[in-house]
Amino acid sequence: MMVSEGLLHRRGWRILLCSLAWLWLVAAGTAARAELRIDITQGTVEPLPIAITDFVGSAANEIQYGRDISKVIADDLERSGLFRPIDKRAFIQTAIALQTLPRFGDWRVINAQALVQGRAQIVEGGQLRIEFRLWDVFAEQQMVGLAYVTVNENWRQVAHIIADAVYKRITGEDGYFNTRIVYISESGPQNRRVKRLAIMDQDGENHKFLTEGEALVLTPRFSPTLQEITYLSFYGNLPRVYIFNIDTGRQEVLGDFPGMTFAPRFSPDGKKVIMSMAKDGNSEIYIMDLRTRAVRQLTFHSAIDTSPSYSPDSRQIVFNSDRGGTQQLYIMESSGRGVRRISYGKGRYATPVWSPRGDLIAFTKILGGRFYIGVMRVDGSGERLLAEDFLVEAPTWAPNGRVLMYFRQERTTKDGRGGRSRLYSIDLTGHNEREILTPIDASDPAWSPIIR
Amino acid sequence: MRDALVYSVLSHAVIMVIGYFGLPYIQREPALTDTPIMVEIVNVSELTNAPPPKPEPEKKPEPKAEKKPPPPPKKPPKTAAPPPPPPAKDPEIAALPPEPKPKAKPKPKPKPEAKPKPKPIRKLAKAKPRHKPKPPDAFTSVLKTVEKLKNRPPPEKKKKEDKKPEKKETFEQQMAQALMSRTARHDPLRALAISEIDLVRQQIKECWSLPAGAKEAENLSIEIRMAMNPDGTVRQARILDQNRLQSDPFFRAAAESALRAVLNPHCNPLKLPPEKYQQWQNMILIFDPRDMF
Repeated sequence: MMVSEGLLHRRGWRILLCSLAWLWLVAAGTAARAELRIDITQGTVEPLPIAITDFVGSAANEIQYGRDISKVIADDLERSGLFRPIDKRAFIQTAIALQTLPRFGDWRVINAQALVQGRAQIVEGGQLRIEFRLWDVFAEQQMVGLAYVTVNENWRQVAHIIADAVYKRITGEDGYFNTRIVYISESGPQNRRVKRLAIMDQDGENHKFLTEGEALVLTPRFSPTLQEITYLSFYGNLPRVYIFNIDTGRQEVLGDFPGMTFAPRFSPDGKKVIMSMAKDGNSEIYIMDLRTRAVRQLTFHSAIDTSPSYSPDSRQIVFNSDRGGTQQLYIMESSGRGVRRISYGKGRYATPVWSPRGDLIAFTKILGGRFYIGVMRVDGSGERLLAEDFLVEAPTWAPNGRVLMYFRQERTTKDGRGGRSRLYSIDLTGHNEREILTPIDASDPAWSPIIR
Repeated sequence: MRDALVYSVLSHAVIMVIGYFGLPYIQREPALTDTPIMVEIVNVSELTNAPPPKPEPEKKPEPKAEKKPPPPPKKPPKTAAPPPPPPAKDPEIAALPPEPKPKAKPKPKPKPEAKPKPKPIRKLAKAKPRHKPKPPDAFTSVLKTVEKLKNRPPPEKKKKEDKKPEKKETFEQQMAQALMSRTARHDPLRALAISEIDLVRQQIKECWSLPAGAKEAENLSIEIRMAMNPDGTVRQARILDQNRLQSDPFFRAAAESALRAVLNPHCNPLKLPPEKYQQWQNMILIFDPRDMF
């Protein structure tokens, strides 16, 4: 009896303790539920202030490389419009002192939110070793840190790769700085233009001509495998689609078609080329397998169907057609079935290009005698026009699907002056339009994929 | 044994009841008020809430206003009616204050009384939109489109068309309309007031650089749990949803942008009422850019 009573007693205590624990938990629960929650639904669109220090080195040439690399990175990031490199003269902590650990307070004072530091070294075998670190100044943490070893001449490419890494870490999207642009370089009077295929780095460096201008060339497109360009050439006054190998310089006509072929574009895997062929006043869309050279016709319509572009998953093709009366954008399956119209706005739509990200289609729009570069969603909704002018045309996507490039031509005056034609890039938000510097007039840009 | 069971059942029941209704002795502090504090700043974001300029009510009053101004210029002989407007820097503003009085004397007493309040607001609202006609467009989305530039003229034409028929209406009708439309479209309190929470929103907004142009940026909602110091500075901030942080680079980029906003020295300390520290010492900020795209 005594024992059981004691047990009960003990049990009572236990129950009390348990209840107290429960009460505490419940109270904590209600307190947590009452936690203040604030919705932040608005922000600003401001470039991120970033401090990019000169990469350090010990020998004179290392220091020079370090300085040059830092400049290329800063220029790349600045041009994207998403970053604002801070003037180096404002820096408090020196690049050399940084080698131990950043004094984050010193960087906060100058409003830096991110910090890039690095080192350039000539290692054994005369190769260049470049390392960098990206710091989050507020969180006081390293965000990314990498090192590369390369031959000296490739320092510029490494700088672009580092800029891509910084861009990717901070925006969450792949960069596009280690890319090239192929375009049509134009010279001579408007009625006898000499058009040459030219290629350059995305920042305008390493410019060179690929053709000599003996034949008119148009609409170059990069292969996703990068070594090849497909384009339209009037060689021998016969407009035909050609393939150009960048490494070997070899040109090759694509297929033996009865009519003129034009508006070529690679499939996302680079194994096929889709293009238009015109015959007897009609134009249809064809696809050619580059390996077997087998050709298949995809559209069968009395209207003009042209400018095909694959979706990144290869399942669909966007093209333009005047089957509805005016030139509008249509989507079909890659088999050619299931054609449906997506553009219903006023004006004419041309040169649709599917974003590499898959979410948007860029196009040229002609309305009331003006040209526009615009984007719409894949279902045709959400049309936004990003650029407008007397003549803007031929949008091409950066490989990350965030930036578009196109060309803009000024009006030619009666005495034949004007008509200046240049390449421009614009961010998807419609802000940050930049001219891409070319030595002479330029048109029809095509962005390469990321160079691996 | 049975006693134990009874104890157990009873105490569990008590706990359940407390758990459901809350502890009776927990002192409830006044919640953070959402009541407005009047401030003089008109923030850009509120401009969209401003009433569209309505010239009619002003044009009409002018004749009456002329009657009023004459007294001062009476010193010069007689043709006083035209001169008064020029001396006033802004004829509209000058004309406004006298307006209610003449009306009050004739007949509709309730209406004029309602008038004076909205008036000063209208002055502010009027002045701003004229300098910057774009904000209403620009702030519906951070994504720019050149098309809107083209679309702008038509609405203006429509406004003009609207004006013509209105002129035929009597003054009373116009006043009634003006009052009605103002209550319908424009909440004067909302335009100028910033609640305590709104103050924080405004503050953070300035520090938060949105992931504009990112893919599916409209689906990114980021929660940040914050532990605050009594002086309003952030002691600790942590992104919730750590799983998605590891797996989704877009989310990570957006979440880090939100984290940078709360850690930004320009946003520290947060302007929170110190006497209510108990309520905001732990809080969650939810960053949701959906409305900006």
